[in-house]
Amino acid sequence: MTAASRSVDVRGPRFSAWVTAVVLAVALVLGSGVLVAAQGAVFALGAFAGLRYAPYGAFFRLVVAPRLGPVREREPEAPPRFAQLVGLLFAVVGAGGYLLGAPVLGAVATGFALVAALLNAATGFCLGCELYLIARRALPARA
Amino acid sequence: MSGMGAVVVVAALAVTAVAAWWLRTRDGAVRSTGTEEDGVAASAFDRLGVRPGEADLTVVQFSTAFCGPCRATKARLRQLQATRPGLAVVQVDAESHLDEVRALDVRRTPTLFYLGRDGELIGRSSGAPRPDELTALVDAHTGAGS
Repeated sequence: MTAASRSVDVRGPRFSAWVTAVVLAVALVLGSGVLVAAQGAVFALGAFAGLRYAPYGAFFRLVVAPRLGPVREREPEAPPRFAQLVGLLFAVVGAGGYLLGAPVLGAVATGFALVAALLNAATGFCLGCELYLIARRALPARA
Repeated sequence: MSGMGAVVVVAALAVTAVAAWWLRTRDGAVRSTGTEEDGVAASAFDRLGVRPGEADLTVVQFSTAFCGPCRATKARLRQLQATRPGLAVVQVDAESHLDEVRALDVRRTPTLFYLGRDGELIGRSSGAPRPDELTALVDAHTGAGS
């Protein structure tokens, strides 16, 4: 099965976005670069290994979903997976800022990731997905 | 504890609330056009293979592979097409038509363009349109429901 044909329960990414938002908010309040880095590792797993291996998604699938009832709607994996990659970029800058002595940079980058996670959790809007076309427009066509 | 971090959390909540409100008002709202020059738009649609003369209303949808709401909008249009013969739908993969994306100033997906039979641009919308509004717009221009 190719990455494009994989699909996920639509409730999974929303659940993961809530967990992500809580983790990032706690990291900000504690000023913890280590916690931002840990969230970055979670993003990396989702982006590179696939959402099946993303810890929050796996927790949702194995523990939460069975209690909620059957899957009513599935969606392709590609959009939420791409969003994990965008989240990873912000988490790397955030964790780097905190751990390398630039806490303002760390807090601001983590804050952007928090906005994206909250927006996704509350409305289903995928900021990373929206940025994709804007980035592709700005870059020259692939050879 | 980090005072700055707490401030950032509060700011993030405020930004999210404003963004959610903005999206709710703007998503899928049909705007009359004006920014794009008629000639430029017409030639871009022509290159995309859009033939507005063949239907009462032609809807052109720009999508990308990483767009969740595009799928629902696509399904909705297909559904409308089944019962409204005056409606034509053209699906465009934004990524493989970047020149047209720039010419038509498409920034988000899905972006929909609504073209009349004479090729005139009736309007455009960004973000998934609300199903009832989309249906109403299609009915108003295809003569269905009357």
